[in-house]
Amino acid sequence: MSKAKEGEGTRASLPLLLCSGKGEWKMRRRLREKGNAFVIPAIFWVLTFTIFPLVYSFRVSLSKVLYGKLVGFAGASNYLRMFGDYRFWGTLRFTLVLVLISVCATTAIGLGLAIVFNRKMKGLRAFRSILTMPLFTAPVALGYLGVMMFYEENGPINVLLKYLGMGKVPWLSHPLWATLAICLVDIWQWTPFAFIILLAGLQSISDEIYEAAVIDTSSGWAVFRYITLPLLSPVLGTVIMLRMVDAFKAFDIPFSLTSGGPGTATRTLTFYIYTQGLRNFDLGYASAMAYFLLAITMVIGLLFFRRYRELYE
Amino acid sequence: MEWRRLSVVLLSVVFVLGFVFGALAQEGASELEIQTANAAFEAADKGNPDPAWKGQKLTIAVYSAGPRGAISGPLYFWRPYFEKLTGATYDIVEIPFGELREKIFTDLMTGTGTYDIIVGPSWFYGDYIMNDWIVPAQEFFNDPRMPKWEPESIALPVRELYMWGDKLVGFNNDHDGQVIYYRRDILSDPKWQEEFKKEKGKDMPTPPWTWEEVYEICDFFNGKDWNGDGEPDYGISMHLKVGGQGFFHFMALSAPYVVSPAPGDDPAKVTRYHNVYWFDPETMEPLVNTPGFVEALNMLIKLSKTGPSAMFGWSLGEAWDAFLRGKAVMCWSWGDVGSLAQLPDRSVIQGKLGVAPIPGSDKYYDLETQQWVNKKNFVANTVGASWHGVISKYCKNKELAAYFLSWQATPQINHWNVVWGWTGVDPGTSYDFLQPSGKATIEEYVATGYDAEDARQFVTAYEEMWTKYPLRQTYLRIPGTPEMWEVYDIHLSEAVTGQVSPEEALNRIAEEWKAIVERYGKDTLKKIYQEAIGYKPE
Repeated sequence: MSKAKEGEGTRASLPLLLCSGKGEWKMRRRLREKGNAFVIPAIFWVLTFTIFPLVYSFRVSLSKVLYGKLVGFAGASNYLRMFGDYRFWGTLRFTLVLVLISVCATTAIGLGLAIVFNRKMKGLRAFRSILTMPLFTAPVALGYLGVMMFYEENGPINVLLKYLGMGKVPWLSHPLWATLAICLVDIWQWTPFAFIILLAGLQSISDEIYEAAVIDTSSGWAVFRYITLPLLSPVLGTVIMLRMVDAFKAFDIPFSLTSGGPGTATRTLTFYIYTQGLRNFDLGYASAMAYFLLAITMVIGLLFFRRYRELYE
Repeated sequence: MEWRRLSVVLLSVVFVLGFVFGALAQEGASELEIQTANAAFEAADKGNPDPAWKGQKLTIAVYSAGPRGAISGPLYFWRPYFEKLTGATYDIVEIPFGELREKIFTDLMTGTGTYDIIVGPSWFYGDYIMNDWIVPAQEFFNDPRMPKWEPESIALPVRELYMWGDKLVGFNNDHDGQVIYYRRDILSDPKWQEEFKKEKGKDMPTPPWTWEEVYEICDFFNGKDWNGDGEPDYGISMHLKVGGQGFFHFMALSAPYVVSPAPGDDPAKVTRYHNVYWFDPETMEPLVNTPGFVEALNMLIKLSKTGPSAMFGWSLGEAWDAFLRGKAVMCWSWGDVGSLAQLPDRSVIQGKLGVAPIPGSDKYYDLETQQWVNKKNFVANTVGASWHGVISKYCKNKELAAYFLSWQATPQINHWNVVWGWTGVDPGTSYDFLQPSGKATIEEYVATGYDAEDARQFVTAYEEMWTKYPLRQTYLRIPGTPEMWEVYDIHLSEAVTGQVSPEEALNRIAEEWKAIVERYGKDTLKKIYQEAIGYKPE
């Protein structure tokens, strides 16, 4: 950090050495003006594509909307409607379950794989590439792939279970199993993400620390518990936060795998927002729910960054 | 560098092969198809195409099924003929089923006018009419440039979908309704008939005329190896996945329990309490949680126990497939099953297909007296989309669009689409029904690959249902219909998977429908609903 600041300082003050007094002041002003001009496109971008939609959608959330047109002021009724809407609470409950299971599982499995692959071994690159492949697949394609994999009448997974002497699992027709199926596909897709980042984190820990630790203890667990985990925790925190924010937005996999069913058992909050907003054109209510989701993810983000500052500043 | 060159060459080969095979797949038509299509083209009225149309282009939105798929397929097939006829052409924009509403309505709401023609479902009419989004077909019917077609040839219940009041609004194409399909060979087998009698203490009702009889047959066959493959087989095949169109099947099943005949000379007259299915036309109170619906939902759940549990996660194609592969003894669905049963690569039941009109019920609930009436009740249905073209009010060349749709609606072209099952266009006109009551011959169907008896039963079942059943189920054509049906779909799924009781599921539907009605405006919706079902307040 400090090196970068020094560099910036050097670059900024170099022309100033060539002038002094009034001239220096003029130079500074010209530079500031030029700098402002460079920032304008970025400001325009943020205003147009972030601030304006945010403000406009807030206005929409306070309006009655019919066929995409704002036809009246609705006050807080769209927000209050959420509290009496059992479908909203049902989708929120499923979203929280998905976030909890998926984030815990992807992080734990990703960490396990990162530890396994954090050593010199033959074919390591090939293994890593294969392991990361699901990450580069479109989630909607994975969902449709899941339809085939979890097909209850002689689908590959049920056939495998049959060979193992287990019964037919109602993967897509039972609310609990359908929830599990969604979680499994999500975990399969996102474990490589955790794996790549945690592996990078592990590789950044100096070997010297381990060498010193080995002198004090022979227990692998103790090394992991007291050396690896604390040094990896910033990376681990980042992985968990990014995964949480992403899992809250899950849409494609439930959409393609179960269509949110049976009933609304696997409908996520974003799926519900999409249905209300873009299929039913009830944009007021959809915007209100979207704001609720935004609030959740912002709270998670703020908590994370506060904790992060407490630990590392 | 060598491996790079090699990969570029390999990729190019793959792309070229893909393009060539893709193009061939689009051609795909058999010699016989071309011959019969040429004959239909020659015989069809061509009107007087305006020379000014030369070089113009239309854009048609249709649901996505590909160049040889249902409903979109005929648009690809007939395009070269249209180009030859008018010198104009059209682009086909395929939209996935689940995105139809958002894409089409967004185009119409914003007035963008991307789509000149919308080959869409009948449940969009409420929104079309309320917002004045389409130009009625009536406006072009007497234009001398237009090919002549015959609205009066369409079976009455389906024709009503193409009309709004007395005005013709859509152009004839598809005719949807559900009938029951069964294994003719199995149900008429003396061995199984004898066993049925032994087990149930009565003769096997072949074909089944009520849902109670359907249940008895399915219950008997479920778990028995009646197809001889060494594994237990199923009674019914249906599908209940959310978004998988299973709710249409419940509409067809529930109609005889809910729709009651009007007293007096005309049992089909729509009154406040008779021949209504969706809402009370005076109050817009949903009828979906009335006892008739509860009874029907209990029947659906009972029936679902006679098929694979997996069907709760099935979509339409999977349910059809189980019947066509000979794993289920019965299913009820649209006309597609009748035509798919004739395709050797999809079906093992060609020549074994039995078809009957949609079953009735042993009793129905009278909304006026609020009592059950123990009398058999038969109600024809037009559930489904009856996919057909309408002209957007933003269309830039409305006459050319009307010309194309009128030409497609002519008896020769429309009937050609019906006899070639891959088109997804189902029978529903007098020229599709067999002689002597209709105009078609069995040979026309046999020529395209139908088994003669399969075709006879298939076409006759539709004709009987639409022309001989005393009552017909009204179709929901009000603003917000797609949203209401989505709610219906979700809560039915909750009930069949045991998440809530049938009563609770139906109450939830009623509550959500009330909220939707309020959102669109009860008075506005009531007026449109009354017009849509032909109810005249007394």
